[in-house]
Amino acid sequence: MGTKPFCDACGKVQPPSPDIDYFAAFGLPRKLNIDLSALERSFYRLSRKLHPDVYAQATQQEQQWSLEQTSLLNDAYRTLKNSIARTEYLLKLEGVVLEAGKSEDGAAKESRVPADLLEEVFELNMQLEEMRMTRKMGEDDPQLRKDLEKAHIDFESQLAASDSNLQDLWTLWGTALDNEDTARKSETKDQMVALLDRRRYIRNLVRDVNEALEA
Amino acid sequence: MAYSDKVIDHYNNPRNVGQLDKSSSEVGTGLVGAPECGDVMRLQIKVNPETQVIEEAKFKTFGCGSAIASSSLATEWVKGKTIEEAMQITNTDIVKELALPPVKIHCSVLAEDAIRAAIGDWKKKNGVTEGAEVAQAVAAN
Ligand code: FES
Repeated sequence: MGTKPFCDACGKVQPPSPDIDYFAAFGLPRKLNIDLSALERSFYRLSRKLHPDVYAQATQQEQQWSLEQTSLLNDAYRTLKNSIARTEYLLKLEGVVLEAGKSEDGAAKESRVPADLLEEVFELNMQLEEMRMTRKMGEDDPQLRKDLEKAHIDFESQLAASDSNLQDLWTLWGTALDNEDTARKSETKDQMVALLDRRRYIRNLVRDVNEALEA
Repeated sequence: MAYSDKVIDHYNNPRNVGQLDKSSSEVGTGLVGAPECGDVMRLQIKVNPETQVIEEAKFKTFGCGSAIASSSLATEWVKGKTIEEAMQITNTDIVKELALPPVKIHCSVLAEDAIRAAIGDWKKKNGVTEGAEVAQAVAAN
């Protein structure tokens, strides 16, 4: 069964292949540097071709398949256009378990969470809580606010830095894929996992600090 | 997401929130995080040096309701247990007690990790495992 939504020979809609991945749905290789405007264009082009109106006169079967193809296409587009979702999706395709329930190897799990970052996250959360509490009592602590504003700038820039590091990893990944360099591939995968782990903490902090400052 | 009654109870009335003196030799501190969601949890125990019984336990969690409930429950459970008994607590026990759904299992893992980290810290401070672990490692080789 092919990975294309339409038959090459007759142009008719096909059922989605059960093991198709989101990259293949757009005819893309499993690379992370994606031309987003090209992606958008293919999304609209394919959506139009799969539109229910086109199938108003078609057989039940074809209507069904076109719906299935449309929903696959929508999921694929939503995932691929977001840089983080796309990276997480690729890692999953490549066999990385991101939501590790319980890792067999305790040591490996610990190294996923850098201790200094945890301390920082914890401390900042304490400050945020303190700020919310003083606020509740109708007071304002200017020093605390200043600290938080500083933390805000700091974490925003950490977030930006991690995004640009991620893009570097995408490129490394693409090269390793082209060269079929298994060692480099798995090294890059590990680096992406570590980066995303760290990024999740930073993202939470940015969100919480924003909330506290805006409140 | 529908939380079970027990989760809601622990969430609304968390037991043992707070902190213990980190620098005391009787206190073990575990600070852990769940990379899946970016939540953090600190669990501390105060151990009687003679009996190795955990006399006091406190936690502070910044995270979801299940993580708060799991850590609250964990502090209740470890209190009165010896270090060795407390090591037996697993995340599965927590999942069962709180009826956590699969997507919330990592929250209970966080609590188990926190217990172990706190115990590990206490052991390190008191030079407890080092000897035993070295002996084991030697025996294993
Ligand atoms: S969702 Fe993160 S600990 Fe529960």
